[in-house]
Amino acid sequence: MDEVELVVVGAGPAGIESALIASQAGVEVILIDTSPKPGGQYFKQLPEPFKSDDRSDHQDKAQRLFQRLGSSSIRVFNDTLVWGIFEGTKPGSWCLALYGPGAPQRVNSRAIVLATGAFDCSIPFPGWDLPGVITAGAALTMVKNQRVLPGKRVVLSGTGPLLFASAALLVQAGAEVVGVCESSANLLRRGLPYLPAVWGQWGRMREGMGYIKTLASHRVPYRFGWAVTSAGGGNRVSEATMAKLDRNGIPIPQSQVTRAVDSVVVGYSLVPATELCRLLDCDLVFEPGRGGFIPRRDEEMETSCSGIYAVGDCAGIGGAEMALIEGRIAGTSAAVRLGHLTKRSAYEVTSRERIALRREQRFAKLLGDLFSPPAGLFTLAETDTMICRCEQVTLRQIREAISYGAQTVGDVKNLVRTGMGNCQGRTCGSMVAQILAAESGRTLEDVRYFNIRPPLHPLPLEVVEEHQKEVHTP
Amino acid sequence: MRITKSTSDLPALRRGKTIEVTIDGRKVQAFEGELVSTVLLAEGISIFGRKHTTGRPSGIYCGMGVCYECLVTINGTTNIRACQTFAVDRMVIETAGQVKP
Repeated sequence: MDEVELVVVGAGPAGIESALIASQAGVEVILIDTSPKPGGQYFKQLPEPFKSDDRSDHQDKAQRLFQRLGSSSIRVFNDTLVWGIFEGTKPGSWCLALYGPGAPQRVNSRAIVLATGAFDCSIPFPGWDLPGVITAGAALTMVKNQRVLPGKRVVLSGTGPLLFASAALLVQAGAEVVGVCESSANLLRRGLPYLPAVWGQWGRMREGMGYIKTLASHRVPYRFGWAVTSAGGGNRVSEATMAKLDRNGIPIPQSQVTRAVDSVVVGYSLVPATELCRLLDCDLVFEPGRGGFIPRRDEEMETSCSGIYAVGDCAGIGGAEMALIEGRIAGTSAAVRLGHLTKRSAYEVTSRERIALRREQRFAKLLGDLFSPPAGLFTLAETDTMICRCEQVTLRQIREAISYGAQTVGDVKNLVRTGMGNCQGRTCGSMVAQILAAESGRTLEDVRYFNIRPPLHPLPLEVVEEHQKEVHTP
Repeated sequence: MRITKSTSDLPALRRGKTIEVTIDGRKVQAFEGELVSTVLLAEGISIFGRKHTTGRPSGIYCGMGVCYECLVTINGTTNIRACQTFAVDRMVIETAGQVKP
């Protein structure tokens, strides 16, 4: 079996940076990522056969990161999934089960940095499972990296900068954007107390201004305190209804407007991908402004599991800049742990990083507070609306589970199979929690989250069989 | 629909070389570097599959390999994520969009 000092899971900004810092200190590092190329969602690269002369600052930054990665001694396994983490052969070590071309089946490691990122938060509404309804993340990938339009007439609904960026790019790409519904209202008034946090975020403001210009010059109607409340159509989306939201996020029926569209883009902020943290049974804390349940960490980014670090969006939504800083701190700490750096020299590196981290944390708090979907939006689903798409479980069935006495999302899963399908509850997890909390009068903290078991994604059976054979062979 | 124009945020781009794939028995042109989901969308196909229990249509949703809504059959292998699989020359793609539940 391959032995290595440090495995970093996820090659986005946080993962690459932590791998680089550790490697520079002399740590032997393996970096694993499910995509064909490193970069994660933020620095997502064009597919190899596509050629473009992209001279943006963003691309420049990405290229510099990849150059550093390329000239390092880090072993990178792309297209590779970590489908389980088990106890290692030596005390205090971990065994990662891998699935990917060219990757070993298992790697034994003394420390792990989890940098698995985040994915779009889903909010169910009637028709949200119709083909033609896609996430903001999907829309961005289609337009930027694949150069294909999700539809010709598009409406967007959600909250935050990602929605904003998706709308502007769709317009630039030639889609007719019939409306953008931003669920947060009174942004200016609510945003004023946060102005100090914006100080110094000029790059972000410039990017934002560019998008505002695009949307304004195309006269795209941008409605604050609105949301798409239902999508209609037989086998695919043909229309969407929008409504103004009251103070609690409940749609006001008189305000409803229906428009013919062939695509609905939804982006209600992000959910941290905490599957590996949950699999390892790391302590989680509930922080709604950072995306819900996130791993509890110390100053060194180490979780409650010894030798397991978590950085970037998977440890609480904070964006790419924060991810880079956290990556540097975790990479340095791992190097100390593995005996390649002294605590003193590590302190010199990280003390500066911690100041920058505090600035990013203020900014993340601003985004989290201003752009969180209001609770009322989770009441849009009707009794026959699908909540768990994989197992086709409706709101009615979830209510039945609650009436049987389900107290946690795990109970609901046991009773009606929500979260037992292909996506393993990634899509419906936060929705089931919201529904259960609202209907049983419990808090989101009380209703908990789905437990995770290996394999983390569906796998060909022979892969698991092979693993079992080898593990059980003395 | 493929995007042909370029803008400040979408710099000019050249796709990979032309390939031919088969979608539900029909031969179509595509480009190297395109995902199966892209080829299907470009052909105006939005229904990729049907849910096994209810027969409800499904298509691309998360676009990043999380939700498993975009499953199709590729070269005879079922349940492949269209959003995570690159199209290659002579690939045979089958959707369940036309099949009645």
